[in-house]
Amino acid sequence: MSLRQGAAPARPLADESDAEEDALVEDYREQVRYDNNDTQDTFTSFDPQGAIAAQLAAVAAPLDFQATLDTKLASYDLYCSLFHYFLNSEGPIDIEPPSHNWAWEVIDEFIYQFNSFCSHRQKLAQKGDNQEEIQIMRDNQHTWGCYSVLNVLYSLIQRSQIAEQQAAIKRGEDTAQYAGEYGNRPLYRSLGYFSIIGLLRVHCLLGDFSLALKTLDDIELNKKSMFARVMDAHFTTYYYVGFSYMMMRRYADAIRMFSHILVYVSRTKNYNKNAQYDNITKKNDQMYALIAMCVAFQPTRLDDTIHTAIREKYGEQFNRMQRGGPESLPIFEEMFRGSCPKFISPTPPDFDNPEINVDPIEHHLAIFMDEVKNNMWSPTVKSYLKLYTTMDLKKLAGFLEVEPEKLRSQLLVNKQRSRQVRWSEGFLLDGEVVNSSDLDYALQGDLIHVSEVKIGRRLVDWYLRNLARTY
Amino acid sequence: MPIISFDYSPDRPEHIETILNGLDRYNPETTEIFSKYVMEQCENRTYDCYANLALLKLFQFNPHLSRDETVTNILVKALTVFPSPDFSLCLSLLQPHVLRPISSSHSNPAAGDAPFSEAVQQLNKLNNQLSSADYASFWATLDSDDLFADLVADVAGFEELMRVQIAVEVSKCVREIQRSVLEDWLNLRAGEFDNFINKVCGWEIDGASVTVPANKENEAKGTVVRENVKFDQFSRLIKRAYEQPA
Repeated sequence: MSLRQGAAPARPLADESDAEEDALVEDYREQVRYDNNDTQDTFTSFDPQGAIAAQLAAVAAPLDFQATLDTKLASYDLYCSLFHYFLNSEGPIDIEPPSHNWAWEVIDEFIYQFNSFCSHRQKLAQKGDNQEEIQIMRDNQHTWGCYSVLNVLYSLIQRSQIAEQQAAIKRGEDTAQYAGEYGNRPLYRSLGYFSIIGLLRVHCLLGDFSLALKTLDDIELNKKSMFARVMDAHFTTYYYVGFSYMMMRRYADAIRMFSHILVYVSRTKNYNKNAQYDNITKKNDQMYALIAMCVAFQPTRLDDTIHTAIREKYGEQFNRMQRGGPESLPIFEEMFRGSCPKFISPTPPDFDNPEINVDPIEHHLAIFMDEVKNNMWSPTVKSYLKLYTTMDLKKLAGFLEVEPEKLRSQLLVNKQRSRQVRWSEGFLLDGEVVNSSDLDYALQGDLIHVSEVKIGRRLVDWYLRNLARTY
Repeated sequence: MPIISFDYSPDRPEHIETILNGLDRYNPETTEIFSKYVMEQCENRTYDCYANLALLKLFQFNPHLSRDETVTNILVKALTVFPSPDFSLCLSLLQPHVLRPISSSHSNPAAGDAPFSEAVQQLNKLNNQLSSADYASFWATLDSDDLFADLVADVAGFEELMRVQIAVEVSKCVREIQRSVLEDWLNLRAGEFDNFINKVCGWEIDGASVTVPANKENEAKGTVVRENVKFDQFSRLIKRAYEQPA
């Protein structure tokens, strides 16, 4: 169960005889602590003697949509033996990645399969009707376990010394002297790098949003980063970072992340009309839903292209969320369900008590909806306050048809939510508390003093544009 | 404005820092160390959310190691720093069934940890009352059931920590407030109230109202955001001026 097993002394892979091959299998079997050997017949091992190119292509390719449970279990075994081969052979493996995107695709597919396997297992337990598959799941408790998945990702990160390399890049030094024997090879470097993005994703799927953001300490989020060269990776990174910020209630930061990537995609979509782009379209729509929710929490002026797209895709929902009140709650629920990651539980469900297995998505939705409920009156209160510079609390309560003491509480809530941690420099988890609202107020007894933050005219852009025209 | 780092705590001992930064944060053997650290936080009135989340993660991965009192202590500590998202972040790492309505689990004795679910849900109720600034209801709920006395027993000075935090939040929004309202919000009366307002908060009581000294947050001054012009924005223009002498 310990993660350090990944770095356990490797069994030498001297001459690649069948005996060695079996030993490798045994070694790996020990690692994942199989309780039985039932899976022997479904075992698919990575075979360094075989057609390497075909096998490398296989692990990067999506599993068939209708793949059987046996295929999914076998696929796990294949990944394990592949990573075992990469990590625990004697010295680094001398293979060039088959393609530019290969390392990303392997990690992406590896996590995708982990994710869908756990979701499937959860559904089986909830329904409790497919006894055959449930039995297979019972027999394979450790397959696609979160400790093994994390083990792979952390081991790839450590082997490639990618953290040290990224730190060197930040300091503006040459990475070669920090990369070590493994990390200097493109195969390990890119696997290590994308494993960091993979960790971000796994932590987020397990509901650990702060650790998800912490994972990216080593990576700089800018267009020069390695992930930016693979469109899908670029996109995934921003989705999970933005989502984690949203769950930490740092809406301004979430909006900044979603805006960045959505603008980027809208500008480059003409160059990216390929298979990858189809994948992106779905996530793209999800991010429009997420940014719409964040803006409903915290009114923000968006880039025009994003604003137009939200109106097109979610116009009605966007209006209703911005209006707040109890009518907005079902909209928030629907939007959250449609755009959140497919959350998973790290441990196998309780197959004996189907009714106690709650879908993790429902769990995170419930937590999120509590926050939505606490804030749902803010839009109404704010819309009234904007009209006055001073206002009597009881009079306003009369307009809003609430008890004065309820309104007093709502004013406090609204004020608290306008003070938000926002990133300014440094790591993703850092930030300073700023007033993120264009409205501020204070209570003097029952008198509300309202003030507004006015945005001065923006002249420089206009001036520069016109100058450029006259030249 | 000072930079706040979510993963930083001024009170964190070095050995905890080391575990958090390494792979030992996943090692079930560190559960003991983290649990002891939670107790220290409860006793010393310190707080370290990032370390507590690491412990909840260990419990999430190894449910058989999970200790109910430790989890509820972490949740109670998270209440004391409302309205931060800490409480929600802790909830996210608990088993999904803990938030399921209790009534349905009564019919099923196999869901053996019903008392734990109930405790978590009651604490969540408190958290929602705090998050919606309904402080009077918060105190009423806290006094309504002996369960809460047990839950907060380990957290030294819980009530005082809550009062101080409520006062901090009030001071951000209020310049002057009716004594009766604040009495309800702090759940203090007469001499105790006077003492807390004067000694702990340093505010002034003026007959039926309490005056909160001016601070940055309760000023509510109107401001105008001016454009921030950088020289770089003109670089192209200046370059062109050199290239094509007008």
